[in-house]
Amino acid sequence: MSAPSLRVRECDLGEIKQRCRAGQLHIDYGAALVRVRSPLDPFARTLQRTYGAFRLPHSAQTECADYHVEVIRPRGPRAFIRPQSQFRIDGIQPFDPFPLTNALPLFEWGVNWCFGQRANQYILLHAGVLAKGERAIIMAAPPGSGKSTLAAAMMLRGFRLLSDEFGVLRPETGDLVAMLKPVALKNQSVEVIRAFSEEAVIGPLFTGTRKGDVAHLAPDDASADAIHHPARPALVIFPSFEAGAALASHRLPGKDAFAHLAFNSFNYHLLGATGFEAVADVVAACPAYQMRYSDLDAAIRHIEMLLDDAEAVAGAQTTEDDG
Amino acid sequence: MTLRRSPVLRQLKMTAKANIPPNAQRSSPMPAPVHITHRSLNTRLPMPAGHHLLPLLSDPAHARQMQLADWDSTLRLARQARVLGMLAHRLQAHESRWRAIPERVRGHLQAAINYGAYRAHLVRMELRDLERALPADLPVILLKGAAYLLQELPLAQGRAPNDVDLLVRRADLDRAEAALKTAGWQMATQSAYDERYYREWSHELPPLRYPNHPLEVDLHHTIAPVTSRTRADDALLFADPRPLPGSRYRVLAPLDQIIHAVIHLFQDSELDGELRGLVDIDALLRTHLRTDGDWQALIERAHHHQASHLLWYALRYCCDWLQTPMPEDLTLDDLAPPTIARAALDWIFTRIGPPRLPETRPTLAQRLATQAGLVRYHRRRMPPALLARHLLHKGWVAVTPSNRQSAQ
Repeated sequence: MSAPSLRVRECDLGEIKQRCRAGQLHIDYGAALVRVRSPLDPFARTLQRTYGAFRLPHSAQTECADYHVEVIRPRGPRAFIRPQSQFRIDGIQPFDPFPLTNALPLFEWGVNWCFGQRANQYILLHAGVLAKGERAIIMAAPPGSGKSTLAAAMMLRGFRLLSDEFGVLRPETGDLVAMLKPVALKNQSVEVIRAFSEEAVIGPLFTGTRKGDVAHLAPDDASADAIHHPARPALVIFPSFEAGAALASHRLPGKDAFAHLAFNSFNYHLLGATGFEAVADVVAACPAYQMRYSDLDAAIRHIEMLLDDAEAVAGAQTTEDDG
Repeated sequence: MTLRRSPVLRQLKMTAKANIPPNAQRSSPMPAPVHITHRSLNTRLPMPAGHHLLPLLSDPAHARQMQLADWDSTLRLARQARVLGMLAHRLQAHESRWRAIPERVRGHLQAAINYGAYRAHLVRMELRDLERALPADLPVILLKGAAYLLQELPLAQGRAPNDVDLLVRRADLDRAEAALKTAGWQMATQSAYDERYYREWSHELPPLRYPNHPLEVDLHHTIAPVTSRTRADDALLFADPRPLPGSRYRVLAPLDQIIHAVIHLFQDSELDGELRGLVDIDALLRTHLRTDGDWQALIERAHHHQASHLLWYALRYCCDWLQTPMPEDLTLDDLAPPTIARAALDWIFTRIGPPRLPETRPTLAQRLATQAGLVRYHRRRMPPALLARHLLHKGWVAVTPSNRQSAQ
């Protein structure tokens, strides 16, 4: 076993910039290894802040990257008038350029796009995933339900973050794989999380992106160090934020949980029977709850309780089966 | 890397009257042999696809020789050439070989297999819908991807078709079109010129699509454009279609499937990034031809369809790049195209046929070859007068802003 490599924040900024320029910066997200090239120094600086906890992968791992991406400044007149940044994978430009200053949100969106398009060896649920030890909580909800905010808060209260966007299910084992990325906090969430914990490391605020104002919460060291440890699905939560609402949750029948999970997936339609079985296994193994919340700490305490209950039920079932 | 040389390759080389020392045939970056009097251009594997992608497509056992670092560019090249899914199936067919492939690489291969299965499923669903729409007494022949799929050819595995190609007799074309339109398929709006181009000079109608369906349907009445140099013999095509068990659809006779793939690649494409066309032909040859007699029959069939020169190119590249097994005593002299045409095609296809890594900028020769491929495509497709007219029209549309709107 080789010694752990340096964390990104422990590297000299000059080296990060140099690697970016040379196309030799590799980021290991767990489920994907991305090789980044970018001549944009300010982008390299924001990367260092939001990916600070990530360890630079060993050179043996970087021999083969999953995605080769570039964040560049297009040539031509636009290089001078309202300059832009452009995201490319394998020479393809999947979407329109962003303003030059918004290179980080562009990159984050781009990596999500690559992974969502290509990682069809997995079932990709549209869900945040957090874990206590081996036990994973799948939090699925449509955008705007406060899923990312709750995931960020849970990480700051000691849960391990696997992903705030992708529930990456490995069909062969039924495990959840980490796709650890900085959590994209939108609009009011940025201040909510800043006030929630002093330990929150938040990148610069990008105003006027397609999703409003965005800032990225850096994943913590424990989450970054565990990217290669899969977790077992233990609990499914469908959270919805409602200002001023009292905390309430109710158990969902399996068929409803199945529909919510499957139809909020990026590639369920594409995977046929494999996808069906994997989602059905999750629903069979985990109790699912709809949860309404307004206070983050109360929500987290409730989730911890539901997770303990789920474990007790699972334990009881095993004992019954044994008997 | 040295690859075994087959007797057919020698035959082909003899036909080409190439006077090259045998040991200079393949080795990749070796200096060119000195005593070349008549240069055959197609004597090395094109790079970078020649490092691992072509050897893997020739024989999946090549995977055993590959290190993790080799896969990095190979996966990207295979994706670029749209053969990743096909390659993945071939690698997965052999359990221990599959297990020996690094896990990260297997992830990409499995993803491509899953994606290919999804596309195949879409094709089957579209065919099911088309089956309901088309009159039962109207004979319909499937072409290319859909045909490979319903015949369950090894080639169909992992091959992700972009559209569904149907062939009907010219006499049935109007009826087939009307039936599909009645059932809800629609043609994208075309300019009057494009409409006429398709209907008078092409071999297919403008693409049809059922609203919100992911795949387009191309309705053909023959396999090569009406105005092109190589016109397949329609009477022959329609005389011998093969039924598919349990289906209303038919497919072309095996030899015609090969000839169609050959015409499609070497006449009906711009040759740029078209390695998949060659992989198709290689797989069809390996699947459909069992005996020496089959090979002779293929050569005769090519003569009948006026596609012998095109078949010669196909066999030569299959042999050179994909090591397609061929009978020892196969004589191809009758097929050989004129030297100058051969040199031109070699110059073009070796430069732009195989995939390139996306971040490497095309060389000047590659850019020129791309243009040449385009010119050749148009020259083969239309007689000079018609071509001049076509280019004038397209040029006019391109420079006139008001036309640009309507052309789109």
